[in-house]
Order: sequence, then structure tokens, then C-alpha cells
Amino acid sequence: MVLVFAVSGIAVNHKDDWNPNYQVTHKLIQAPVTKWHETSDEILLSQIFNYIDEGLEVKATYWASPTEFKVFLKSDGNITLNLDNHQLIFEHIEARPVFQAINRLHLNETHKAWIVFSDLFAGLLIFLAISALFMVKGKYSPWGRRAILVTLGFIIPMGFIYW
Amino acid sequence: MYYKSILVAALLLSFSDLALAKNINFGTEVNAENVTKISTIMAQPDKYLSSPVTIKGTVVGVCKKRGCWMTIASDKRFENLRIKVRDGDMVFPMSAKGSQAIATGKLNKIEFDLERTKQIKAQQAIAKNEVFDPASVTEPLVIYQLVPTGVSILDQ
Repeated sequence: MVLVFAVSGIAVNHKDDWNPNYQVTHKLIQAPVTKWHETSDEILLSQIFNYIDEGLEVKATYWASPTEFKVFLKSDGNITLNLDNHQLIFEHIEARPVFQAINRLHLNETHKAWIVFSDLFAGLLIFLAISALFMVKGKYSPWGRRAILVTLGFIIPMGFIYW
Repeated sequence: MYYKSILVAALLLSFSDLALAKNINFGTEVNAENVTKISTIMAQPDKYLSSPVTIKGTVVGVCKKRGCWMTIASDKRFENLRIKVRDGDMVFPMSAKGSQAIATGKLNKIEFDLERTKQIKAQQAIAKNEVFDPASVTEPLVIYQLVPTGVSILDQ
């Protein structure tokens, strides 16, 4: 449980720089100046597959604009053709199943029962943190020299709030 | 050794539904019997604001980060309609791109002021690597999106 929250916490913290759920790669292909067949999607597809490996199975096609044609592939990828500059962008999407699963748990995107379970877990963590202040006696007690660690535990988060 | 095998089997089972899933359903059941064409809705969108509608089309875009929106292609060329949920309410997979989806929900109208419209258009221009002149924007932007109660992504 701690690993679920810790690992997905790092992943979600950096979601602006790194997609924690999918690995998305792009490959740019510059086709030569071509008279693209705009009236038949079938012929246009065959033109596109002259520049990208054949054998890719087509799921659907879509005209996003008069100059942008998209091809969605069954193998979790898609191709965007820009008819103006003759550029083809091949996007491949690969799921990160482990990260997807733990991120769903962390972000409470699963069943409501999970929220109850994680509330219980959080309650136990609170109990662990508070009881640790009183359970250890003697040399390792948090009220002796180690009080500095407890104090830092308050000061550091407060520093981020008020500084 | 025995316990390790059980652990590995449990892990594989827990992820297998992600890989083998066929249709993916979110929220309440969609009203597949009563589909309205996106082009019909977009021709007179204000007419559809008051009661729930069901749309069907190819998924042509999905939110990469939280899966909180999908763009559904219209039956009319170059037209589409976005379905949008609050983060985490439904998480649409990127693998939905190119699949057919049915969504039932309420059409939502969002009106921006001119200043915000310029900001949005500027961001869109940056994303498309295009030159943008704020003076070219003279009308405030109005967008329509469907806030779904139920979504079904077919033939995954």
C-alpha cells in the first residue's frame, strides 16, 4: 500500500513532464511532394502506406480539417497526414499497465469500496505516526535528542506553505 | 515457492482485464436506441441543452493525461463533439482512439469573453505551430460539449 501511494505519487507529481499512463512516441516522416487523393480515402490510405510499413491494420479514418487526415490503427497507433507540408506523423501508444493500475488506485478512480479501504489504511498510518511518539521510551524516545526529527517533521511542510 | 506462484498469478489476473477488455462501459447505461446525429445537434445546439441526448461516433481524440475527455467525430466532415467529465469520474483509455463510442448525457454550452477567446486561440496556434494575430479574433468563442452520464466504447 505504501509503495502504491509512493510510486504513483512520484509518477503523478511529474505528469506534466512524463505521461505516467502511456508511453507515446512520435516518428516524423517527410514524404516527397505528392498529389494526395482527397476524394477517395482508400486510395489515400494506399498512398500513405507507401511511406509507412505495410501490414498495419486500419481501425478508422477521420478528416480533422481539409488539410489533415488521420488514420487510426488496430495496433494502438495512429498516423496524421498533413496534406500541406506532406508530413506524416506516426504516433505509437503503449500502455504502462502497472503504473495505470496504481495511479487509478492513488487517484481514487476505482470502486467506492477502495475509498473506504484507503481511509482505513490512512487511519492506521495516523495511528502509527501518533503512537510512535509515545511507545518508544528511553534512549530512542522522540522526546529526547530525537525531538529534533519530530520538529523537522513539522517545520519542513510549514516551510513550503509559508515560505 | 508455492506462495510466490500464487502472488505472480494474482498479479497477472489483476492486470489481465486491462488487456483483454472488449467493450468498456462507464457510468449508467447508454440509450443506444435513441441516437441523435452529431451534425443534427451541432446545427442547432441550443435546442438540445435542456434534455439528455445520445451520440455515436468514432473516437478521434482522448485526453492523454487523465483520460477526462474524448472527441467524437461527427457524421459531417471536419466536425466533432467533445465529451467531458470531471477528472476521475470516468477515465477514457487512449486505446479508444479509432473505436466507436456511444455517449448519453447533457449538452453543455460554455461562453468565453473576447480576452479568454484570444488566449485559447493563441494556445491552439502554438500547438499547431501556426502564426496567430490576436486582432483577427473579433467574436467571443462559444463551445458545446457533452457531459455524459454513461459512455460505452465499442470493439476495443
